Amino acid sequence: MSENNKVKQDDKPIPAEESTLKRALMTGFIGGLFWSIIWVFTYYFSFSELAPKSYLLRSWLHREWTDKLLGDVVSILLTGIISMIIALIYYMLIKKATTYLAGIMYGIVLWVILFYILQPIFPNIPSLHELDKDTIITTLCLFIVYGTFIGYSISYDYHEYQNE
Amino acid sequence: MTQESVPKSNHDVEEYMTKRIGIGKSFDVGVRQLLVLKTNVQLYYVNGLVDSVMITKMIEELVEINDNEWANKRNIAKIIENRLLNIQVEKVETMDEAVDQVLTGLVSIFIDGIKYAIIVDVRSYPGRTPEEPDTERVIRGSRDGFTENIIENTGLTRRRIKDERLRNEMHTVGERSKTDVCISYLQDVADNHFIDFVKQKISEIETDGIPMADKTLEEFIMGGKWSPFPMVRYTERPDVASKHLMDGHVLLFVDTSPTVIILPTTYINCLEHAEEYRQAPAVGTFIRWIRLIAILGSLFILPLWLLFVMDPSLLPPQLSFIGPNEEGNVPIFIQIILGLIGVEFLRMAAVHTPTPLATAMGLIAAVLIGQIAIDVGLLSPEVILYLALSTIGSYVTPSYEVSIGNKITTFFLVILTALFGVPGFMIGTLIFILYLVNLKAFNTPYLWPFIPFDLTAMFRFIVRVPVPLVNNRPSIVHPKNVYSQPLQKRGRNK
Repeated sequence: MSENNKVKQDDKPIPAEESTLKRALMTGFIGGLFWSIIWVFTYYFSFSELAPKSYLLRSWLHREWTDKLLGDVVSILLTGIISMIIALIYYMLIKKATTYLAGIMYGIVLWVILFYILQPIFPNIPSLHELDKDTIITTLCLFIVYGTFIGYSISYDYHEYQNE
Repeated sequence: MTQESVPKSNHDVEEYMTKRIGIGKSFDVGVRQLLVLKTNVQLYYVNGLVDSVMITKMIEELVEINDNEWANKRNIAKIIENRLLNIQVEKVETMDEAVDQVLTGLVSIFIDGIKYAIIVDVRSYPGRTPEEPDTERVIRGSRDGFTENIIENTGLTRRRIKDERLRNEMHTVGERSKTDVCISYLQDVADNHFIDFVKQKISEIETDGIPMADKTLEEFIMGGKWSPFPMVRYTERPDVASKHLMDGHVLLFVDTSPTVIILPTTYINCLEHAEEYRQAPAVGTFIRWIRLIAILGSLFILPLWLLFVMDPSLLPPQLSFIGPNEEGNVPIFIQIILGLIGVEFLRMAAVHTPTPLATAMGLIAAVLIGQIAIDVGLLSPEVILYLALSTIGSYVTPSYEVSIGNKITTFFLVILTALFGVPGFMIGTLIFILYLVNLKAFNTPYLWPFIPFDLTAMFRFIVRVPVPLVNNRPSIVHPKNVYSQPLQKRGRNK
């Protein structure tokens, strides 16, 4: 039955102004979940020495569970919530962009903010020039795809709504 | 082109026809001269395209006019027209039209002294009866498939949609081939802009002919001409075609091709299969997930494995058994490329090999290439395993076109991974995704509903939702009529 319920609440037949915002938040949430799962996978296979949990849990919490599966699950959920804020910022600032390149740029900017500007906040994160090449490229690629996901979705939805 | 009108005298008609379509030179165009009520009557036809039984019947009827209507004082053209027993009879006034019709397989009747020609439809095209398409088999469900005959094909969809709002518009493409192309859509559902766009694109085509039918047409209509991925979805199943028609898609039928073009389409749409809708929703979902795993496997398993062979330290301790125990004589990267090319050899050979030789080919493929290649130390057993997984994954892909596109992507990823390791793999995957994001069919993002994300549509892809719960059409086709069934239906399902 949960399937049916989900279908019903998803079926928004006629888009309205606030429903584009709702959809943007939803896109943010799903995007955060999905791409942080991929990020965790790349961490599991050592493509990247950092994972979402390195930022969200390990930087301030040194309990044992944070290094286990539970730590990953909790950090993925937290990323989903943070991602809603990221989507909201995109929605407020650059939703009118007509190309997905805006999304790519947004992803790169997010990456620079997290890995360079905010780096001093996290005691357990090495500075950018101490990170190895694999980690930098893997996370950068992930952030670019994530930015495209958020940006293109919100902009496309916005223009679709404008055309109605 | 000058519009030459039909000359009064049949002598002139004969002269014109001899010059224009080469009567007497080409064996397949012919003329039959009759004397009806002391007037010369000429029938022009192409012998491979007309039904000779019907022509005989027609001539019989015309000759009998001499016995039946000898006292009738009416105009001879009226008498003859009255005596033509066929359904489709029309008049044309120019020679161009008359010639075109003859070459399409109709019969032109010229009557001495009358300034128009009578066109009678007695076409009977060589063709086969509908049979199940090879590429889209289902376990349950209809076994009919499109044929090479456009009339039969539109008939097959009309049988499934007996709606007065279904439009089948015929156009002609090709200066020489004069191929019939039919645009089908539901008038009150499909997007007008899109229909106009397609019609305009078709009318802009100025080429000699489109013998390769649907594929050539796709290249003329859609952007992304160099893209290895199909910009339209092809189907040979009337039920799949009808379903898309009702969702608000536009169909293009091309005469002489058993494949119908579905427009607009997306990458994800090409990954659906009729079988999923022929089984219970839960089973359909299961099939779809397995298929998705297979497709992702066909794309990523080889480059990932190559990565782990190149750098075993990437593997977590639980998975450290992956990777060949001994290095082998040939670098793994070369082995993978050789294997991929070998599999392509086999695939192409399987397409061209005549059935009696297929067993021999299977033997060579399985025993010689598989086993002996390992024995002589060319390939390592693990390469064969992952190669086989990747290949089977690509055969599971419902759309043949997508599976070939994915194959090229695999090559690309394997080469980048071999050259640059982890960064190569990640950047290659990024390029692959961004390339798909960049593709657009008309104004349809190719990776929709994944990027840009559409929750409803994505959910309907991940889960095969029961049809009574799907009330609205996919938003990607911009349907004029959003609902496919009344909304009250929801209440009943609570």
